Amino acid sequence: MNKVNNNVLLEVKNLKKYFPVRKGFFGGETQYVKAVDDITFHINKGETFGLVGESGCGKSTTGRTIIRLYDVTDGEVIFDGAELGKMRESELKPFRKRIQMIFQDPYASLNTRMTVGDIIGEPIDIHNLATGKKRQEIIYDLLERVGLNKEHANRYPHEFSGGQRQRIGIARALAVEPDFIICDEPISALDVSIQAQVVNMLEDLQKEMGLTYLFIAHDLSMVKHISDRIGVMYLGKMAEIATSDELYTKPLHPYTQALLSAIPIPDPEVTRAKQREVLEGDVPSPLNPPSGCRFRTRCKYAMAKCAEVEPKLKDVGGGHMVACHLMDK
Amino acid sequence: MAEKLLDVKNLKTSFYTHVGEVQAVRGVSFSLNKGEALGIVGESGSGKSVTSMSIMKLLQFPGKIKDGEILFKGEDLVKKSEKHMMSIRGNEIAMIFQDPMTSLNPVYTVGDQIMEAIIRHQGLSKQKAKKKAIEMLKLVGIPSPEKRVDNYPHEFSGGMRQRAMIAIALSCQPDLLIADEPTTALDVTIQAQILELMKDLKEKINTSIILITHDLGVVADVCSRIIVMYGGLVMEEGTAEEIFYDPKHPYTMGLLKSIPRLDLGQKKRLVPIEGSPPDLLKPPKGCPFAARCPYAMRICVEERPPYFYVNEGHRSMCWLLHEDAPDVKVETGVKRGIA
Ligand SMILES: Nc1ncnc2c1ncn2[C@@H]1O[C@H](COP(=O)(O)OP(=O)(O)OP(=O)(O)O)[C@@H](O)[C@H]1O
Ligand SMILES: Nc1ncnc2c1ncn2[C@@H]1O[C@H](COP(=O)(O)OP(=O)(O)OP(=O)(O)O)[C@@H](O)[C@H]1O
Ligand code: SF4
Ligand SMILES: [Mg+2]
Ligand SMILES: [Mg+2]
Repeated sequence: MNKVNNNVLLEVKNLKKYFPVRKGFFGGETQYVKAVDDITFHINKGETFGLVGESGCGKSTTGRTIIRLYDVTDGEVIFDGAELGKMRESELKPFRKRIQMIFQDPYASLNTRMTVGDIIGEPIDIHNLATGKKRQEIIYDLLERVGLNKEHANRYPHEFSGGQRQRIGIARALAVEPDFIICDEPISALDVSIQAQVVNMLEDLQKEMGLTYLFIAHDLSMVKHISDRIGVMYLGKMAEIATSDELYTKPLHPYTQALLSAIPIPDPEVTRAKQREVLEGDVPSPLNPPSGCRFRTRCKYAMAKCAEVEPKLKDVGGGHMVACHLMDK
Repeated sequence: MAEKLLDVKNLKTSFYTHVGEVQAVRGVSFSLNKGEALGIVGESGSGKSVTSMSIMKLLQFPGKIKDGEILFKGEDLVKKSEKHMMSIRGNEIAMIFQDPMTSLNPVYTVGDQIMEAIIRHQGLSKQKAKKKAIEMLKLVGIPSPEKRVDNYPHEFSGGMRQRAMIAIALSCQPDLLIADEPTTALDVTIQAQILELMKDLKEKINTSIILITHDLGVVADVCSRIIVMYGGLVMEEGTAEEIFYDPKHPYTMGLLKSIPRLDLGQKKRLVPIEGSPPDLLKPPKGCPFAARCPYAMRICVEERPPYFYVNEGHRSMCWLLHEDAPDVKVETGVKRGIA
């Protein structure tokens, strides 16, 4: 991929995020949902890193922990050389400007009682970036950048369609001129014909402003389209990381293979001819994950070793990382 | 000639709200043969769910069927009483909804709910019904069904609940199964299981299926015929091959171009359909897609196009197919034989 260079913007090392859940009526031992359990990956400057995996595998938790909406249970989050994981809120402030987040639900994530202009202006005020006429100019410019216009500044969110509301959310994220944007399912709530509008816009903005994205979604076709590299998560673990082309043409982890084979292709002849490998069973509970490899309960290649030893994420060549004992041979 | 099971003729359904009449379905016609799977795709708010709720006569207040006929086995459901509909629902026609939690009863076990359907529709004894319920759970791929039959819905995962819903829907061996976004809330690996199951049913018990979804991959996989809806109307109807490889309506073409293909190597920029769908409180008088259509002509805004037939089963509501229309070079659909 030509966009990839050697400048790492974000490095996530052995990141863990556990949520406590109390068991039984009388307290008793505390159990933990190991939502993110020791994951390591990096994102280069200017690239888009996609994160995919089934519902509940820890994608949103990863994004929210990076931006420190959640405290880090263990591990490091190194952003542009600085370790965010253990910083106090006051130290985090400059990074809260450089890292922004776009959420899935364009309906719920905007304050319905504020005008669009004030929604976009709020982060400008929080970070004291501009006031008065200058502030207004920035807002108008942002509205135009995301394909709306300045007349929209005085209107309220309910007057806009889903796609337009997502644009407002993006304009707000851009208001503080961030370097890095975490997009958590930014198009999942949108109509198919509108998704492409938003994706194209994200791509254009990335080029114009040199942005780096973490793009979280469960639609693998769209993730492959927008990402330079992709990480595949399963039950709190990173199963595989590869460039998006390599992940599709040469998936190595049995879970990635099953995931790819399950996706129907919008082409009748191709999809009906496709060899479909139907993965049996459901995702196990993250409260009580399987020993060894977490995928072993659904994996058709599982061996005795898979139940005993947890496979480590290893580079199998050219940055293609896989966590599976089949790679040991 | 295949036997016709359902024939929807010029269906019009509106919601009479305090701000005015929302014309959700504005004259929809289609038919379905025995053992056939028909896909309904289209824009959000285009009337897909309202069409299916009209067939079931489960419209919520203030919704009303305004006009049209719904011939099921030759009888018009529009004229039937609620009592008669109750004997048809979950018996001859079953429906699977997007959110299984809203349609499973949380206070009864999954087994009880399947048994209830079996006892009501097949008149079996309680004992036999339980055996049958276990069989059904097994059929839909629930592991250890003998144990699971006594679980409550909340003890099932999302995918299992959806399969339990399907088990209930099928316990009555319906002639028609209407599935409205049955897999949208599910992960792709679970979706694959459900789709295989639906294909099986069609083969094994000759159930006719109406599958409503926004996922073009899903319809390509399961359905032999597809209708494409927009603004309360059917824009195009054809076989899956016709819709994907030889679409005749600009909305269908736009839809196909706006989605990325997982299996194709080169990264092409997506081509979105600009703009947003019409307001059904004040539906446009011409073609509902005109405001977003790259080929729109003056007549498109002024007059709703009739259906033009490419062949007997392939129709498109678009003025471009009129013999006097200028010969514009339109985009084609998916190119056959790549990947
Ligand atoms: N605040 C929380 N408290 C307790 N458990 C949580 C919390 N947030 C997430 N979890 C749990 O952590 C796990 C990972 O959740 P997460 O939201 O990160 O998944 P996801 O991959 O984003 O899924 P989806 O695709 O459904 O959005 C889940 O089991 C979830 O129930
Ligand atoms: N109870 C209601 N009151 C008023 N309008 C309604 C009601 N239910 C549906 N509508 C309107 O009817 C139209 C068609 O809705 P419908 O639910 O059939 O869309 P759909 O094609 O199923 O969309 P989606 O893909 O989002 O499920 C929409 O404009 C909707 O706003
Ligand atoms: S480590 Fe074993 S169980 Fe896990 S994916 Fe590889 S083969 Fe399957
Ligand atoms: Mg999430
Ligand atoms: Mg619907």
